[in-house]
Amino acid sequence: MHELLVSFAKWLEGTPWAVGVRTSLWAYPFTQLIHFTGLSIWIGTNLALDLRLIGVGKQRETAAQLADDLFAWNWIGFCIVLLGGFLLFSSTATTFLVNVAFQWKLGVLVPLALVWHIIVQRKARAWGQTSDTPIIAKFSGLTEILLWISVITAAVEIPNH
Amino acid sequence: MWEALEQSGWVKTFGSTGWMYASVSVIHYLTMFWFIGSIAVVDLRVMGVAARKRNVAELADQIFPWAWTGMALAIVSGFFMFAADAGDWAPDPVFHVKLLMIAISIVFAIIVQRGAPTWAAAPEIPSYAKIIALISLLLWIGTILSASEIPALEGLG
Repeated sequence: MHELLVSFAKWLEGTPWAVGVRTSLWAYPFTQLIHFTGLSIWIGTNLALDLRLIGVGKQRETAAQLADDLFAWNWIGFCIVLLGGFLLFSSTATTFLVNVAFQWKLGVLVPLALVWHIIVQRKARAWGQTSDTPIIAKFSGLTEILLWISVITAAVEIPNH
Repeated sequence: MWEALEQSGWVKTFGSTGWMYASVSVIHYLTMFWFIGSIAVVDLRVMGVAARKRNVAELADQIFPWAWTGMALAIVSGFFMFAADAGDWAPDPVFHVKLLMIAISIVFAIIVQRGAPTWAAAPEIPSYAKIIALISLLLWIGTILSASEIPALEGLG
């Protein structure tokens, strides 16, 4: 399995897009731009639903309404994140692969946060029918925020490892 | 002056303590994504490509307080990061571009927030409102780009 990943990473690094991102002065920041723009939409829409479930902030909309409003752009944002992230990863794939912080980020924390998010998003329709949300909704929203904070923490630690 | 800020007691401690700087970086990224994404959703709604079922004013009223909270936290955490290397950041031209972009973007965000009730009351969202929302969106993307260019062009951050 490990062998397979390493050879995949080596192949990725040699692809034209990976070489482009790695060697051009402008391509790397532009790729980062894709990743960060996607992350803004993703985190912005996630936190809006989580905070509404917790009950922090205005209550103009119910959590169910907000989940419905934000659903499409939430996942468009995720696709943009994925595109930018894949390109960034490709540029120095073999280095990322052996980075402990990256392993935690992509191997553990992102899958965990993502699964949690999908559950919260699905449940929000039931939890968010009325303005006041049940305690399980508040707990779940808070947990999701903490999970994304752990993802960002791992990301920030990548250069230190 | 900026060197003095960098060398002052608490800033020195903050800048040289790994976990402190990392924690503030996490706050900066989180709150930055949070507030830009929030404003972007309202911009997209005004442009007519998001949450079309929802009234613009209602959505703006729900989302904007979170956006301003996130922005305030991003500015405070950003100042800490700036202070830690103030001598390098202060004269950097690309950093100046970033700050200018932020200032203009904030003006547009305020215009969108204040315009939302009026635009929502109209039978159809006026074209000029959609253009303002598009500019607001593009300005934030430009802000992120200028931020990403700083390490690439100047080796800072």
